[in-house]
Order: sequence, then structure tokens, then C-alpha cells
Amino acid sequence: MIASILIGTAIFGYAAYAMVKFINKSKKGKCAACDLKNSCSSNCGLPPEVK
Amino acid sequence: MFSSFKPGERGKIVDLSHVSHLVQRRLLDLGITEGSEVCVKCVMPFGGPIMIESCGQCIGIRRKEAVQIEVVKV
Amino acid sequence: MEIALIGNPNTGKTSLFNNLTGSYEYVGNWSGVTVEKKVGIFKKIQGHLIDLPGVYTLNPLSRDEGVVTNFFLHESVNQLLNILDASQLERNLHLTLQLLEFERPVLIGLNMVDVANKRGIQIDAVKLSKSLGVPVVPVIARSGKGCDRLVDAISTKSPEPVNKKLVYYGKEVEAAISALSKEIDGKTEHSHRFLAIQYFEGNEYVKNYFYEIADSEKLNLILVNLESELKKQYASKTLPSFIYLKRKETIVKIMAETAVKSSSVIPLSEKIDRIVTNKFFGIPIFLILMYLMFMLTFDWIGTPLSDALDAILTGPITNLLENVLTAIHASDFIHALIIQGLVAGVGGVLVFVPQIFILFLFISLLEDSGYMARVALVMDRIMESVGLNGKAFIPMIIGFGCNVPGIMAARTIETPRERLLTILLTPLMSCSARLPVYALFVGAFFAGQRALIVLCLYVLGIIVALILAKVFSSTILKSETSLFVIELPPYRLPQFQSLWRSTWDKGKGFIRKAGTFIFAGSVFIWLLSYAGPGGINVDMDRSFLALIGGVIAPVLVPIGFGTWQAAASLITGFLAKESIIATMNIIYFVPNDSSLQGLLANYYSPLAAFSFMVFILLYIPCLATTATIYKETGSKKWTVFSVVYALVIAYVLSLIIYQGGKLFGLV
Repeated sequence: MIASILIGTAIFGYAAYAMVKFINKSKKGKCAACDLKNSCSSNCGLPPEVK
Repeated sequence: MFSSFKPGERGKIVDLSHVSHLVQRRLLDLGITEGSEVCVKCVMPFGGPIMIESCGQCIGIRRKEAVQIEVVKV
Repeated sequence: MEIALIGNPNTGKTSLFNNLTGSYEYVGNWSGVTVEKKVGIFKKIQGHLIDLPGVYTLNPLSRDEGVVTNFFLHESVNQLLNILDASQLERNLHLTLQLLEFERPVLIGLNMVDVANKRGIQIDAVKLSKSLGVPVVPVIARSGKGCDRLVDAISTKSPEPVNKKLVYYGKEVEAAISALSKEIDGKTEHSHRFLAIQYFEGNEYVKNYFYEIADSEKLNLILVNLESELKKQYASKTLPSFIYLKRKETIVKIMAETAVKSSSVIPLSEKIDRIVTNKFFGIPIFLILMYLMFMLTFDWIGTPLSDALDAILTGPITNLLENVLTAIHASDFIHALIIQGLVAGVGGVLVFVPQIFILFLFISLLEDSGYMARVALVMDRIMESVGLNGKAFIPMIIGFGCNVPGIMAARTIETPRERLLTILLTPLMSCSARLPVYALFVGAFFAGQRALIVLCLYVLGIIVALILAKVFSSTILKSETSLFVIELPPYRLPQFQSLWRSTWDKGKGFIRKAGTFIFAGSVFIWLLSYAGPGGINVDMDRSFLALIGGVIAPVLVPIGFGTWQAAASLITGFLAKESIIATMNIIYFVPNDSSLQGLLANYYSPLAAFSFMVFILLYIPCLATTATIYKETGSKKWTVFSVVYALVIAYVLSLIIYQGGKLFGLV
């Protein structure tokens, strides 16, 4: 029983964490399947007339 | 005129001023300007772009822009 | 210490960046691989290295080039590392001269010396260093040769450039430069000379910068006076071309001192070009290459490997987990969660790793070899007829891997209208996350013609994109200007190591996603399918998931798959396309001995399966893609549009296929 509770908590805890992190990352327009974009800020390319 | 060029023929650009401003800028960026020697490498079918070579580098441009470039054969 | 890497497109900046920082950024053999700045930390010395998109000049035409000019104007940097392509030195030096005018310490990395030698060009680095007044280090970025010396040169602080005025622009321009300097004196930390010359060249970014700091009318007056004076003195020349020619004079002088040219052999490139850009075979060759890729993916290598993985997963691994769970007396809930939720969901996605890797290997091959730019050339005629240009095809091919970098790659397209159009249409390209769905369905329904059916879907995506491009460009996005000038880099024999690295780099994201998002998604989807209004462990048809799916299902009846199961997997697909397959695995959970493929036949007819695949291909950009579209267009309107039109077109097309197919007696 204790093992069940432990496993259950671990799985749901990690799942919630991973889900929140993924959605936040996606909303920023970063490709979740690609970590090349760690250091980028893609709005730096906007021309002055847009800013 | 570029339109009369066959693949493999070489020419020298004499006048670029009829080409649209943006294309002129890009060609200039690539080092192609009046006086450059160019060679037609291949011509795409159905009025597609042509591939030209200048100073060892190949560039693709549209046929309708290419015909506005004045070239003389050398 | 901040050091910026700068140079012409496709000169190997990112290769060098990877070598110096030990990180792995995306490299490829065409102009415009890097479209934003990236920061890395040096391996051996303290400091940051900033990788910038390639530019021909600091006066930008396209969005990615603007990144560089903006960087120069608004951020501080200690040193510039200018990479030159030795085989195209004359063109590269135009940028170098502008950088020297910026009056920050410059260090030059002379790259591709080997390529230049092959072409019969010998460059004397010592003499070049002397005439430019800055250190020059020869390197071969691809193999990493010379990088150590480059690092040494960086760490020994280089002196300010000696010959501050390498280019003399003539009496009139020089006078105007001093006049302009007076106007902006004390208002900026940047070199006055640099700003003035860029302003005279018509640099919009500098113009805007001046607008912020100085009296723009006075500046404009200087510019107009200079222009008219030049017109009087040297008939008909425009100011930018006047400046260009002055720089060119200097470069010709430098070249005469430093470079020796001898006759060269015909490069391999030209021989290959005669074939792949052949008049009639260009497009068929592209299609054959794609067909080969799908044969490899689905028939020859990918599917057998993935079947083997599946066998291991459903056999030994499941058994092992079952035993462990029994041994620790896990509750039924945990048991079901792990076996029916996690193993089915995460495992169901992971078995497609072989197929995904083959796809990525192929895309990396395209990127690295130099074929990419040729495809753009071959496709230009078709693209032109629909109001786009051949360059738009590059983002679309990248989109086959993942739509997000595809949309970013659209930055290299110069005209704003064509760029927007490309951004809107790239999501129609079938990304790698959609591949597992096809793999599953073609395996179940079209086992004989797997590769052909998938090729059809990819081509369908392209054709729909082209038709919509035509529709959009002749209705809502009308414009006359179009620009197509593309640099065709020489072919390179891809190196095994770099090919593997770039494949792994794309593919590992897929595995990571399986461990994070798909894991989480599987847990929640399973929970929704396990619990219902009637409590837990309900019959799946009475679960919350069935309720949610059931709301949408009726809408899907006309297109052939009006089941709550299909509807539920489509909803999760918006978050990430991979979760479609995870969801289906959980919903259609089958015990060890039978397979999901067999079970699917109870829910879909082959025609409905094809309609479903077409719907998946087109129906919606995923969350990350939608966010990227918003970021890149900066417009809510276009973002909403991209989602809505995709839904409409997917529905209409699936409807035509399903109802039309039924009419012709297909099932």
C-alpha cells in the first residue's frame, strides 16, 4: 500500500510538473522537441518599424 | 542579352540599372555588378530561373530579371 | 568578455561556434541557416561567443539580417570575430571594411582555405593582416583545424585597428561625414564615421536610431546636399553605389597584394548540378529522393526495427513490470496506470524512434550537402506561379522535421508578404510528429504500399500549400514585388560525424519529449479514461474522455471517423502531434497478444483511415507552432487565421475524400 502511494505520488507529481513546463515552453514558441533554442530571443529580429 | 545565352556561354555585365532595386542590391551583395564576368550554367524549363556563375560562385536568378541585365558576350 | 561572430552567409560561422564553445548548434550548407543570435560559452577561455546570422552587409534587406544590425546598434560587444570565406574573399571583404569602420577590435578567421586552394586561390594571411591592420588566423572550421590559434588570438587582447580610415570615400563624402559627426557628437557611443556611412547607404535601422538621438531634419539635409553634389560631380551615380565602388577600389588593391590566382579544375559541384538541376528531371529527382526516404523509413529499415522494439516492449518489458508490480503488491490503480497508461502511451510513441531517426538523417543529409538551395532553384518556377518564390521551399522542407524551425527559417525571405505567406503555409508540411500516425495506419490498412501512401500525404501537403498560396496571394495578400536571388553553395560530401550529430540533435528532442510531455499527457489521458462521472475504473465508454470526445464526434461523422476515440486524440494533438498516437494507444489498449493495428480495423474502414490521415496532416498547427506564428508575425489576426483556415481546409478535404470515395464505391 505504501509503495502504491509512493509510486502514485511520484508519477502524478512528475506528470504535473512536466505538463506545466511543456505548456509554458510551447507558449513561448519554442519547439518542445528541440533544445537548440535555449539561448534565443526571437523577437530581436523585428525591424524598427514594427517595434 | 541573357535571353540569347546558352548554357556554358560567358558574358560581361554592362548595365544593371533596369533590374529591380531589390535584385540589384542582392546581386551587389553577392559581388555581381557592372563589369563582372558571368557564365550561364543552366536554364530551368518553362521560363524558370537561370543559374549563373561569377568568380567561382553560383547564383540562381529569375529569367525575367535576368533578361533585364545587359550583357555582352566575351 | 563578449565576442560576436560575424560574416557572410554560409561561411562556416556556426561550425566554428560549435567548435569553440563545444555546444551544438544547427549547421547546414545553404545561406540562412542561422536566423537569430545564439550565445555560447567558450570552452577554453572565459567569455561569451555570440553567433549571428550571416550578412553580406550591415545594411539589411531581410529580417534575419536585421538581427545583426540591431545587435550592432543596441548591444555592447568587446570584440568582433569576422569569418571570411577564403574562396570568396572579394565579396567577404565588403563586410570586413564596414566592421573596421565600427572601430571595435576585430579579429579575422580566414576559413575555407582548403576550398580556396582547390580553386587555385592562394591567400597570404600575413599580408592580409598587414593591409587590414588586424590579426588574421587561417582556420578550417569544419574540421576544427586552427581553432586553437584562434582562441589564443582572442585571449591576447588585440589592439584597436590601426588604419582607421582604410577606405577614403572622396572629398565630398568625407566632408559630409564630418558634418554629420558634429550633429551627433556626444549623443552616441558608436563610431560616428560608421553611423554616417551607413546612413548615407540608406540603412533604415541607422536612420531610425538617428531619429531617436538627433535632429533628423538636419541630418537629412546633409544627406540631400551630398547626393546632389555627387550627382553634379560624377553624373548619374547613386550614393549607395558610389560608396560601394569606393570600397571595391580598396578591396581590389588589397586583393592584388594578398591573393594569387591560378587556373583551377572543374569542381565536382558542376557535374552534380548538371544532373539534379537538369531541365526535365529536377522535380522528378526530388520526388524519387523522397520516395527512397519513405521506402527506407517504412519498408526497408524503419518498420522492421520499430516492430522489433514493439515486440520487446509488449513482451519482456511489460512482463518485467508486471512482475515487479505484483511483487510490491501495487494496487490495481497503480497497476493500470503503469501498464495501460504509461507503457501504452509513452512506449507507443517510443517505438517510432527508428522511423523518426531515418527521417531526420535524411533531412540532415539534405541540409549538409548543398542540395537545399538547388531544390529552391528547381521549385522557383512553380512557386512563382502561386505568388511565392523558390526560397520559400526551404522553410517548408525544414518543416518536415519540425514546423517551428521551419517558420523561423522564413526570416530569410526578403519581402514581407512572401514571408508571411510562407509562415502561414509551413504548418501544412507534415512534421516528424505526424509520422507515427501514418506509420500506424499504413501498417494497419495499406501494408502493401506503405511508402507510396505516405509520399502521397507529403505531396498532398505541398500541393495544398501551393494551391492556398495561389488563393491567398491573389486575394488577401496581393503585392507585386517579389525577389528571388539565391546563392548556390558548392556541394560538400557530408561527414559522417556531423551528419550523425545533427540527426541525433533533432532526434533526441523526440525522445526527451516522450519522457516529459508524452509521459505527463499519458498519465492525464489515462486518468480521464479511467475515471468517469460514475466513479473510477468505469467502462471506458462512460469515462470523462468519452464524454469530452463525444461532444465533437458528431461533427466528424461526415468525414468518416465520428467516434469519441478519434475526437479525443485530435484534441490532445493540438498540444503536440505525438500525443495523438499516445492517446490512441491508451484508448485502444490491447492486451499483449493482439496488436493495435489489428484492433483499428474494427473502428476504421481503409477509406476512413485515409481520410483520418489527411485530417491529421492538415488540421491544426500544434501549440508550439501557433505560438511561433504569433511571435514571428506579431499579429493575433494572422495567428487565428492560420489555425482556422487549417481546420477548414482539413475538414473540407477529408469530406471530399471520404464522401467522394464512398461515391466511387470505395470503403
